[in-house]
Order: sequence, then structure tokens, then C-alpha cells
Amino acid sequence: MVDEKADIAVIGAGPAGLSAAIEAAKTGAKVVVYDENLKPGGQLFKQTHKFFGSNEHLAGVRGFNIGKLLLEDASSTNVKIKLDTIVTGMYKPTTLELVSKGKKWKCEAQAIIVATGAIENSLAFPGWTMPGVMGAGAAQTMININRVLPGKRILMVGSGNVGLIVSYQLKQAGAKVVAIIEAANKIGGYGVHSAKVMRAGIPIYLSTTIKEANGDPEVQEATIAKVDQKFKYIEGTEQSLDVDTICIAVGLSPMTELLNMMDIVVTWDNSLGGHIPLHDEDMMTSRPGIYVAGDVSGIEEASSAIEEGRLAGVAAAHKIGFINADKAEISKYQIRKRLDALRSGPFGEIRKAAKRDLIQLYKKMDYQNEAIQVQAAVVSIAGKTIENEVHLRGYPTIEEIKLSGNISSEERFKKGPVAIIECVQEIPCNPCEKICPFGAIEIGTPITNLPLLDAEKCHGCGLCIPGCPGQAVFVVDFSKEVEYATVKIPWEFLPVPQKGDIVAAVDRKGKAIGEAVVSNVKYLPEYDKTRVVELKVPRNIALDVRSMERGVKCE
Amino acid sequence: MNNDDELIICRCNEVTKKDIVDAIKDGADSITGIKRRTKAGMGLCQGKTCSRLVARIIAEETGKKLQDIAQPTARPPVRPVKLETIADENVAES
Repeated sequence: MVDEKADIAVIGAGPAGLSAAIEAAKTGAKVVVYDENLKPGGQLFKQTHKFFGSNEHLAGVRGFNIGKLLLEDASSTNVKIKLDTIVTGMYKPTTLELVSKGKKWKCEAQAIIVATGAIENSLAFPGWTMPGVMGAGAAQTMININRVLPGKRILMVGSGNVGLIVSYQLKQAGAKVVAIIEAANKIGGYGVHSAKVMRAGIPIYLSTTIKEANGDPEVQEATIAKVDQKFKYIEGTEQSLDVDTICIAVGLSPMTELLNMMDIVVTWDNSLGGHIPLHDEDMMTSRPGIYVAGDVSGIEEASSAIEEGRLAGVAAAHKIGFINADKAEISKYQIRKRLDALRSGPFGEIRKAAKRDLIQLYKKMDYQNEAIQVQAAVVSIAGKTIENEVHLRGYPTIEEIKLSGNISSEERFKKGPVAIIECVQEIPCNPCEKICPFGAIEIGTPITNLPLLDAEKCHGCGLCIPGCPGQAVFVVDFSKEVEYATVKIPWEFLPVPQKGDIVAAVDRKGKAIGEAVVSNVKYLPEYDKTRVVELKVPRNIALDVRSMERGVKCE
Repeated sequence: MNNDDELIICRCNEVTKKDIVDAIKDGADSITGIKRRTKAGMGLCQGKTCSRLVARIIAEETGKKLQDIAQPTARPPVRPVKLETIADENVAES
């Protein structure tokens, strides 16, 4: 038995664990990170999409590149990462039991940061144990890490951000996503993600669930059915889909087993994934010296996991005497400010309120729950609110985009190319504001404000097209020809279109509405893999064309 | 398979929904109680796949709220470990 000593031991080398370790190591603490996987980074290295947020959250950078940056920081701060190492148990006060390569040992630390992440929820339906049914996260690992296509025809169950993002990435990997189904009566994830998958030709069916999977010995068919408000099947609405793979994206549960061994106080919050450890505003659990960060402390996303990890790292380092209170308070203040920015807008407010309730519960203070009004359909713009039904439809209508002020006037269109920003839900994201060289896009603070385009300043250069992580910006030019207009769209599918290609012009719903000629394909290294494809289309459909499809004819 | 009762809930130990509903009728009202009666959650994955499903069945059958159904007891090792790993250690200590 080999015994190990560390000032701070971190369990899990995902975004939260690595960030915690880096911050703690910066104070001079000896930090060791354990992870059961063969590679560090947790789920970050399979996130091939550009992240939201602002510059300080590395917005616009693809997830796996954020992972690379974290590994560089870990290496330069002398964080020791031990891989292929399972933490099998946790003992009071702060001891870990570990197993690696058939050897068992103990690590004693002064503080432990648990960043074990989450596990995908399963869904039981007849046929769910057959090969071909898998978690959406598992499918994402297969395509983006192992480069293996799990199937050719896919049904995605669940329309949260995981379901939407993985559907898009499955299409990028060459699979056909036959449908995304959602038991609730509205789309769970961000509108920019649903708009992206819909114009890529993937339909989203609401109030619909899977009834059974059939096939022998593996999935050959799925039966879906409509559900009522109580999630019961409606007889006679069954529909059979020809699929070979069913991906389940019905939420995640925090992996709290190690914490449960420590008799830690747990609480429940539905929006944070169920049972979660109670923690204070420093991420410390009810047991002093044991901290949590990332999904294990409540399901969110990688950017907030990074900030929570930093918070836990600073707090733990302060607790055991590596930095003084003044320094710790300054860092913690800045981190909390960034966390608050990520937890704003109609999606984030729910989590912000849940986390605040949890911290208040921790303090056991008399606490009056000020009801926070969360209305996903109503967003504010410069003090105004606009109503939209993106969560019901999947994409914004021209009327909704007009309400947001981001479609130019007829006169402006005549003058030359100009951007159209199709971002009508308040999500914490602002790279477009920084990327515009002419200062034509304003977001300001909070970063959940909707962007506002100043069409007079916009030159139609299109830098904002690959700069928008949500792929919600397009540039339309009515000024060049009498009968045709051009539409510039973001494009991330292979093969890359070539100038002169004749393709189908596709609308926001994914429907072919005319013919288009690829008139230009622009790419610069800073676009980071996103191509800007210019389509020449008849003028009358230019405001509707938002994508293209090959091998499809317009009806 | 049109009978919901035959639906497998714990795939490691092939415990069906009927087994779990019967255990609830027998008095089990917690994930741990179901585990003791049916072995659901005692397989290789240690309930990582099925414990939320079991909790949901308990909620449906008893009317309990999900938040009031406690998480199953966690004991080391939380991941499968080969017996020889533990055996080797005992040899070394004796």
C-alpha cells in the first residue's frame, strides 16, 4: 500500500476539477487530481461546438480547445494529474482510497474537492436494453473521440441542449437524424441550437415520446407516440420510425456516491438534476474541508463548472492557509461575478435561483423566497420585452426577428450587404459585440441582453457569422443584381461546398424552397472551422433562405 | 413485448418492473428496500443506470415525491475492483 499526501486532492479531471486544481496550485498548495479515465478533460474534449459566454469565459472557443488551455495551465502550475485511477472510497475527515493498475492506496489531504460530474439518466421502454439504444453522451463520445458512427439513422429522445447539440454533431459525422422527440410541450434547449438543427433538416416533435423499440437482435425500428399533459400516451397517435439507433438525452444526475459516504447533507432541486450536496457560497459541503464543483453540485454546463471549480480551488486554498482572506475574497468576488453572468437570462435565472436557495438553506437563515418570475417566452431588449415562440417552433419567425430590431429597412437593404441577427432569446453570450470591427453590434451588460444591430454602421463584412457561437447571424445583399440576392450562411458540414455548386436553398424549417448557386466560400483561420458560404438566390426568398442541402430538389 | 410488467429496469441483474412493484407491495418504499428484496442496483454498475428508474416507480406506486426518496446507501468500492486487488493487500499485511 502506497500512501500519498497532498494539500488538496481533487476527484475528477474535467473542467471543474482541473480549474479547481489550477487555482489552488497557483497559491503554492500541493495539488493532486485523480481521474478514472485514460485522458484528462472530462467531457470537454468531445465538445466540438463553440461555447457561449463572454471573452472572459472564452466564448466562441470550441470546447476541446478550452480543454487544451486548461491542460496547459495545469502543467504550468505543477498540478499533478493521476489518470486511470479510481477513487473507490472516501473516509472522514479527508482521506481517499484509490485503486490503479491493481494497486490500492490511500491519499490524505487537508482538503478534498469533489468534481465527479454527472451520469446520463436512462429511460425504460420496451426494447431499451437492446444494442442500438444509448445515451446521447455516449454517442457523442463515439463520434467525436473514437470517430465511430453509432448508426446511420438516429432518433434523439430529448430536446435539451445535449439532445440538440449531439443531433447536430451526429449529422456532422455523417448520420441521418430522423427526428428529435420531446415529451414536454416545448423545446428544452437554446433556440439558436434548435434553429441550427431544424434548418439542417432535423424535425423536432413536441409532446412526443418513445413507446418502444423493435428489432432483433438490435434496434431496427422505433415507435413514437404523442403524450397528453400528464405524459400518458394518446392512443392512435403511434408512428413508426425506421432507425437503427436511439439516443437518450433526458437529463443528467449528479454522481454523488463518494459524497454520500461522508454523510453530507443533501438537498433536492429538480432544475439542478435531483439530489445534490448542500454547499455554501465557497462551494464547501456540510463537512468542512470537503468541497464540490461542477455538475456534481448541480447540473449546469462546462463554463459554469470552470468558474465553480475556480471558486472551490481558491476557497479550499484559503481554508488551509495558502492565501490570506483579502486575496481570497478578491478572487472569489470576481469569480462569482462571472458565474452570475453565466446564470442570467430566462434559462440561467432558474439555476441562479436554485443555487441561491441552496446556499441560503446552507446558512439556515430565515429566508423568504422572493419569487423570481421566469418566463422563457418573454425577453427584454433595451428595456422592452419581445414575445417569441421559438421554444414551440424551434426557430424565430421574420416577425420575431423584426421585433428584436435586427432586420434592416428596405432602404438599407438597397445600399449594400447587411447583417441579420436571429438571436431572440436572452442567453449569456456576447462575442458578436467584440468581433464587429465597426462597432455595429451592441450588447452591453448584462451579457444576456439581446444584440442590437446598428445597420448604418454595418458594412456586411460577415465576420460576425463565424463569430457567433449560436450560428445565428446571416448577411444578405440585395444591392448587386436585379433578380438575385446573396445570403451568407455559417457552414460546418463536410464536404465543404465549392464555388459554382448548384444546391437547394433551404429555409429555417429545413425545407427546400428554391435553387441556389454557391457564389463564394470564405474561410480564414480565425473562423475556426466554420465556413462562410455565400448563396445566390432569387430575391423573393432571400429573407427565408438560411441553409443549403445537396442532393435534394425543391418541391 | 406488450406487457409493461416484463420491462427490465435493472439490466445488470435483470430485475423487471413487476419484481419492483411486487417488492413495493411487500412493503419496500426506498431504493435500498427495493435493492434488498430484488437485487436491483447490486450489479456491475451499482445502480448508476437503474436507481433513478427505481425511484420513479416508487413515486408512481406510493405517491411519494421524488425528493423524499432517499439516494441508496453508498459504500466503497464505488467502482468495480478486482478481488485480487483487495486480496493482495491482505497478503501483504499478514
